[in-house]
Amino acid sequence: MNDAIRMQISAFVDGELPDNEADLLLRRMGQDAELRHRVAEYLAIGRTLRGETSVPGVDRIHERVAAAIDDKPLDVPNETGGTPSTTAVRPLIGLAVAATVALVAIFGLQQTLSVNGTDSQPLEGAVAEIDDGYTVPKPMDDQLRQYYLSHGETATENGANGINSRFVVLRLNEEQLEESVVEDDSVSTDDADDLATQP
Amino acid sequence: MSIRWRKSSTQLITLVGLLLTVGSVLAGSVEPREWLNRMAAAVQSTSYEGTVIRIRGGEAEALKVVHKVVDGVIREKVVAQDGNGLEIIRNGNEVHCILPDRKSVLVEQWDDQSTLFSTLPSSDIRFGNEYDVSIVREDRVAGRQTNLLAIRPHDGYRYGYRIWLDTETGFPLQTQLIGGDGSAIEQVKFAEIRLNEEILASSLAPSYSTENFRWFNQKGRHVTRSVDSDWASNDLPRGFRAISTHEEKMPGSERFVTHILYSDGLANVSVFIAQNDDGNSQGPSSVGGSNSFSAVMDEYHVTAVGEVPAMTVEQIATTMRPR
Repeated sequence: MNDAIRMQISAFVDGELPDNEADLLLRRMGQDAELRHRVAEYLAIGRTLRGETSVPGVDRIHERVAAAIDDKPLDVPNETGGTPSTTAVRPLIGLAVAATVALVAIFGLQQTLSVNGTDSQPLEGAVAEIDDGYTVPKPMDDQLRQYYLSHGETATENGANGINSRFVVLRLNEEQLEESVVEDDSVSTDDADDLATQP
Repeated sequence: MSIRWRKSSTQLITLVGLLLTVGSVLAGSVEPREWLNRMAAAVQSTSYEGTVIRIRGGEAEALKVVHKVVDGVIREKVVAQDGNGLEIIRNGNEVHCILPDRKSVLVEQWDDQSTLFSTLPSSDIRFGNEYDVSIVREDRVAGRQTNLLAIRPHDGYRYGYRIWLDTETGFPLQTQLIGGDGSAIEQVKFAEIRLNEEILASSLAPSYSTENFRWFNQKGRHVTRSVDSDWASNDLPRGFRAISTHEEKMPGSERFVTHILYSDGLANVSVFIAQNDDGNSQGPSSVGGSNSFSAVMDEYHVTAVGEVPAMTVEQIATTMRPR
């Protein structure tokens, strides 16, 4: 990933990328997992450190957080509540990036994650180098976010979950769905023939 | 929630009727733990319709909720009053999350019986000696008479709870998660509610026609398998014990992570043990009332996560050792 792309991502996250370039970037994200991951990382960082549930250019936030959505045809959901029989259905898998960013949004996370035990550590690695004009906050640890989510699921399965966990699920669902829709839009544009049609 | 309610409608009606009848009589004499039992039964069997306010960190959100139990099957509709109008429609285990502005629906399976209010454990929970449970006072919430039940931890390793239970039914009308300084970290409260009144089927239907919406299906996030682990804390806070141990794959990874769940009967802490990689974070982190702490033990990266104070996860994470 070259510096130009990194600059472009940074501007996109800040809502400063021109529309035509933003659209192009979104298309690339639909096909480039690394790009999706990098954008999601920037998003998580920005949201976390700013204590925001969104960042500038909010309408495109979810487009930047392309989750690991499987775009293969998939099983039909149960026919509850009048699921239309001719609707295309897409699977959501891991959602590693999307779900974790969603988790941040849900809680309005005031992240105190420290890197190597020091809160004030500068950002390490490529992310820190990208753009002097963009205040790059510390990275959220995707693995840690997955741990939070997994803990919630496992505790619930064992019947002694926290009292408010369903509220968390509500927001997770919302975030995941929005991100999936955007991802789906991107996939549809480039590969419409692969879409599944529910019988 | 492993215990499933598959009672007949007659039994449920009888149960609810019994609760309604004897509720006010028992209100002044029921033991605190009996209140917990009543709450558990009420959450599982009560139909209700109302507005819930969730408050956390100075922010509040409102949700319209309709909840009905028919033959032990939960039907529920939740509509966010702010933002984009998210709707959650639950029919048994199948859940449809409708995003009207996106004209999309996410389909999920909730294979438990927990509802919008996840139930607190009933009186047979393994509280042990780590908490006191008491009725503090009578109060009013959402225009109804309640009894305030307090669950106080004996030490700083866990949070407390305050639960306002409807005097007639035992239904929790307000809940608070209480930090060590006595302040509410998070609370959920009904602003208005109708309990056990007739709920029309139309009230549970989506507010939008989803005929032309796109549908998405969410698959399970983790691959898990139960295992025996050699890992254990050599200084586990009192009252906690391991209640499950398994391995799972995190999304995007092919490597298994060992996941041990500790519980004191109310509070839960997960410990994740993975091969350490360069760049793994260490130290504390917090998300709302949940805390985590990561540490490196030889070639392993150990992280403890739970709805407990920071000191609890730190102690557990830093004392995990292979036996």
